[in-house]
Amino acid sequence: MKNLPLDLEKMEGDIFTSKGMVKAEFTFWVGLAMDKFYDGTTDQKFIGTKCSKCGKVFLPPRNRCGDCFAKAEEFVDLPGTATLKNFTITPWKITERRAKKGNKNALVGLVQVDGADSAFMTEILNTTEDKLEEGMKLKVVWAKRIKGHPQDIAGFEPVGGA
Amino acid sequence: MERIGIVGYHQVRPELDLQMSPYECIFTAVRGALDHAGLKRKDITTVISATNDYYDGKTISNCFKVSAGGAYMKDESKVEMDGAHAAQYAMFRILSQNHKLAMVYGFSMPSCMPFECTRILELDPTFDRPISLMNSYSTCGMQMRAYMKKYGVSEEQIAEATATNWKNAAKNPLALQEAQKADMTAAEVLKSDYLASPLRELMYPLLGDGCTALILAPEKQALKITDNPVWITGVGNCQETYYFGERDLTTSLSMEKASEAAYKMAGVKPSDIDVAELFGYTACEDIILAESAGLAEKGKGDSLVAKGCLNPSGGATSGMTPCATGLNRIIEAVKQLKGEAEEHQVSGVKKAIASGQIGFCAQNNIIYVLEGGN
Repeated sequence: MKNLPLDLEKMEGDIFTSKGMVKAEFTFWVGLAMDKFYDGTTDQKFIGTKCSKCGKVFLPPRNRCGDCFAKAEEFVDLPGTATLKNFTITPWKITERRAKKGNKNALVGLVQVDGADSAFMTEILNTTEDKLEEGMKLKVVWAKRIKGHPQDIAGFEPVGGA
Repeated sequence: MERIGIVGYHQVRPELDLQMSPYECIFTAVRGALDHAGLKRKDITTVISATNDYYDGKTISNCFKVSAGGAYMKDESKVEMDGAHAAQYAMFRILSQNHKLAMVYGFSMPSCMPFECTRILELDPTFDRPISLMNSYSTCGMQMRAYMKKYGVSEEQIAEATATNWKNAAKNPLALQEAQKADMTAAEVLKSDYLASPLRELMYPLLGDGCTALILAPEKQALKITDNPVWITGVGNCQETYYFGERDLTTSLSMEKASEAAYKMAGVKPSDIDVAELFGYTACEDIILAESAGLAEKGKGDSLVAKGCLNPSGGATSGMTPCATGLNRIIEAVKQLKGEAEEHQVSGVKKAIASGQIGFCAQNNIIYVLEGGN
């Protein structure tokens, strides 16, 4: 497949590469809603926000509802249980730095935490490919080292074991 | 709306590793479009490009493309979206009556950049990006799973439509050579490795370096340039939510809204459309977009591929040049209307639609209604 990222080492001699003059490490201000969310993950809790108009609950939280264009500033505590909405099994690991086909498959789920109206992607752990099914009940697995980071959520696993 | 005419175009045939510099490639497309229309650079008053700073590895990447794009000492701007969006921007320029002739081009060189990695930069940096699970493969895979489950569509059906796209590409002289697979079968598609289940490698398009240019003119001007223009009679564009987990992946709400607006503007119904050239990443997405544009009943869109009226050129499967793919769809629809599509010509095409998109699983869609005749 040619859709792979460039293998610059292989191309050595054919091209010259420019590493660039600027080391661009960007910072992003997460905002008040996500700040609260990461406070929550530090305590191994989910905190979402609720739209003041339609009542939809967002997790990860945001301070507005795009549909109502209304504030969503009310914080709501959400449980560590969820439903699997969709999933895919992929050997590909793609970051902003590299795309690599690994030897092992990752089980990637689109997970909706109970009480939330939104869902997010996370890894499904402690189960096998053939056991995955839309609608199955899951619970959160927190990372061993919690640091107020998206990877505090190690993933989700089936309720009651695999 | 005053009709806008498409009076000239040129597509550089995409290649996996095009032996041209970006500027040679852009010049070839723009010069080619001028020659095709029998125009000179001085006739053009505004140049709108579709490129992406991350794809180009430069900021404000249009500023270095001025001479290649024919924009020297002219009104010039760019959109960081699909080429089909640049065409709409050019239409606005013309409809404002400040410009008579607009050059539009879309360009990228995926052999020189890690495309799938740059797409990660589209994601929310405060959550989705650091998790590194959401990407073009995983989202297309989930879209396919959601669609198949809801409508009871089988992997074989999607593979069949995919094989047809590869076979159609074999009839398209401007398709990427490596995408021209006249003997492709659904079985072969289903034998390829998973990118992200149920999406397989052969269900995802090959990327090609290229550039596509298009010249737009107001009605009066268009009729002076050519006896046989193709008219843009309607356009619609709609943006869905970014939040992937809130979207109904079995359909495309943005395509529903965008097509509704375009049909209304053109005064046509979906049943009037003879051929559709839609920009989906996968055959499954092509089908979802076509259903959302009202061309087929939900869950039954694969029949359009079998009938040959959805992406007779092979669609994005014929070679995907980021930023140019939407323009390629427009050009293919134009060719169908003019009867110039040679081997992949559909007979009796009077009205066509063409679309472009941006975002994961076509978060945003833009669609044109195109009609031939004076």
